[in-house]
Formats: sequence, structure tokens, C-alpha cells
Amino acid sequence: MKCAEVRQFVRLYLDSELDAKNSFEVEQHLESCAECAGLFEAEKKFDVRLGRFLRRGDAMRALWENIEVQIAPARRGKLRALWPIALAASVVIAASAVFLAKSRSLDLANAVEECHSAYVHQLTAPEFNGPVPDKIAQQFGGQLDTAAFAYLPSQTTFNSSGARLCHVEGVPVALILGHCGKTPVSMIVFKKSELDHFPKTKRKLESGDPIACSRSGRYQFAARFVDDHVVCVIGDRPRPALEDLLRTVRRADG
Amino acid sequence: MDQEKQEARFLSLLRPIEADLENYSRRMVFEQGDCEDALQNAVLRAFRAFDRYHDDASFRAWMFKILTNEIFAINRKRGRVAQFEIAVEPDEIEEFASLDFVAEMSLSWETLADALDEELVAALQRLNDGERAVLLMRAIGDLRYREIGECLGIPLGSVMGNLSRARQKMRDAILRARRLRRAGVPRLWNEGGRPSL
Repeated sequence: MKCAEVRQFVRLYLDSELDAKNSFEVEQHLESCAECAGLFEAEKKFDVRLGRFLRRGDAMRALWENIEVQIAPARRGKLRALWPIALAASVVIAASAVFLAKSRSLDLANAVEECHSAYVHQLTAPEFNGPVPDKIAQQFGGQLDTAAFAYLPSQTTFNSSGARLCHVEGVPVALILGHCGKTPVSMIVFKKSELDHFPKTKRKLESGDPIACSRSGRYQFAARFVDDHVVCVIGDRPRPALEDLLRTVRRADG
Repeated sequence: MDQEKQEARFLSLLRPIEADLENYSRRMVFEQGDCEDALQNAVLRAFRAFDRYHDDASFRAWMFKILTNEIFAINRKRGRVAQFEIAVEPDEIEEFASLDFVAEMSLSWETLADALDEELVAALQRLNDGERAVLLMRAIGDLRYREIGECLGIPLGSVMGNLSRARQKMRDAILRARRLRRAGVPRLWNEGGRPSL
């Protein structure tokens, strides 16, 4: 394909509407043409920026609660009555699963699983979109690694819902929450210098593995270095899909 | 029991897309009260019709269709009528080749944040209902062109035409924001006159 033809396909390609043959030819061209690759990258940035803007807003939790009560009033009543039993059973099951899995999983994978699990079960939610709000940054007196929040996958299958600050084993990390299709996926970013807290993962990444993978509970986990940061993704997705997603992570303001 | 199963299944399909439906409604309607009415009416309507939903269809697309109908009904009440320009052929869509313009888009995004948001809100409000629905279904709903066409009852060519125009208008808004800020923004072009990609 020539440049003019490839450029006609830019939106169809990025919207995943191009057939396999043409997509392949576009990709081949992009590998050898820096100018077209730059134009495609610019268009991706437009999508990311527009997506961030369009998804901004406070979650209407009360509305959804109200809607759910109207849909399933009896069920919610029963669930409320049974919640202590359900909670106890969940704790026993989760503790057994964690005990079995922890010995084999990477330490960082085990640590971030909690954050992701809380997101999946809607116990935690994004707090902001875009750059870190001044109010949060000021709480850390300029010590917060705001750059960690600028990393995003360029893959259009990841829809970011926003971000929040989180602590993993005492390490403050940027937690970027989103979905791939309908599946919740979390991205965790922190400074490389903090990797000492996770020696198993550090060994694996520093041994030359470009991507460290692991399973933690029901989730797949993958981590890699990007610039001077460690970027991890975790979710109930096939491992190759998470690895592909991780490879596209770039600093959006870089 | 069947009723409970039905409720549980509906909610399990609904929960992962709640945020997307919410954002779509918020950006289509602009007023909080109308936005919540549209969501509530649409979800309850979908639940009542859930026995007619088939597994082989996308629940996401089905919900977006029902919500869009509610939103258009509200907009009609407010005197805003959905507009579509139907006569667009797929091969006309390649107007996207205005790539000098696209290249300019790659300039430092984050320096523009505040002015940009104001411009984007204004630009979104200036889109007609059709353009806005198509843009949001793609950008928030992640729907395929075919699904968008089915939701809105318009041909594929019109989906592509509306989407292309909507994106172009949003880009114009970003450029306007850049011009507003240009005087105060550090040099954005490198020595060769090319954008810093």
C-alpha cells in the first residue's frame, strides 16, 4: 500500500472496522513509514484525549442503586439478610485460594490483586480523569509521582474509566481503572526505584525478561519497565491479550 | 425462581456497562435531571422487554438503542429534533485524508487542558443529535459501525459520514483552544517546522 491509500484507512483501522487483509497491509506500511506512523499515533492521541473528556463526570451511584431496587426489590432484601453468611463464606474461600496461589505467584501480582479485586467488586472507583487534581497533589507536598498517572495503553480496546491513588504494600501507586470490552482491567504504575519492595518481581524483570507474567487468584498479571516506571496490568483476560495491552503503554504526555 | 434468575442475569449484564450508559446519557442530554430520567426509563424499559432479548445480540448495543430512543424522546420534548444526513456513501468518508491537519493534532495535549475542555463542551453542544449520538456510541459505547446504524436506523454510510463530521468538529474545537493558548504556550514547533510527534 502507498501512503495515500494507507491514510484513507486511518479511521477504519483505528476503529477496528478494516478487514484482516487491509489491516495487515496497513500495519506493514506503518512499520516502514515513520510519517504515516506519526499520523496514526496523532489520531490515537486524539481518541485518548476525546475519550477522557467524554468519560469525565461524577458517578451516579444513587441512581443505579435506585434502579436496581426497582428491578429486583425482593432479591436485594434477601441478599441483605444473607450477607453475613455470604461474607464469611467468601472470606474462607478467598483465604484458601490466596494461600494456594501465593506460593507460586509473583509478589507484586499478589499485592495488586487486592486493588483490582476491589475494583471488580465495585468497592473502589476512579476518583478523577486526566491529570492529578491539585487538591490531591497538594496533600503530598509535591512528593507525589504525578507522572505515573500519565501512562496509558494506546490500544483502543482499553477504555479508561479514570484513576485514583492507591497503596500497594505501602508503596503509593497510580491505579488506572478501565475495561477491555466488558472485562475490568486495572493498570498500576509506580517508580522503578520502589521495586525493592517486590524482590521476586524485581529479579524476574532484571533478569532480562521484558515482561514478567504471573497468575494471582483468577486474574492474569503482567508487568514491564516503561521509562523509569514499572507498569503492570491485571485482569480476567487471556495472558497474551494482557501482554499485548502492556506493550502499547506509553506516557501520554511524553 | 425464574423471575429471580431473570433479574440476576439482567443486572449481571447491566453492571459492566452502567458507567458507559451514564456518560453517554450525560453527554447527549446535558441536563442532570433529564439525563437521570433517560437512564432510569431506558433501563426499566429494557428490563420489561428482557424476555425479547436474545443472547446472540450484543446487550451493550441493545441497551444503547433503547437509551437513545429515550434521549431522543426527551430532546423532542425540549424542541430539539434528531437530524441525520442520509445520503453519504461509504467511499466519501475518506475525507479524513486531511492529514496535515491530523499531524498538527499531535502537539502537546496537556498544555491545553482547561481551554480544551471548554472548547470540547461547546463543540459537543454544537453537534446535531445524529452526529453526537454516532460519536458517543463509538467513543464511549465502543459500538461497531453496523451496531450504531442498527441503533439509529440509518445506513452504514450515514454512520460513517456523521462520525467523520463529528470528529472533524471536535478537532476544530481543539485547534481553536490551541490558538487561544498559543500566545502563552512555549514553542510547539521544532526547527524543521514539523510537529513534535
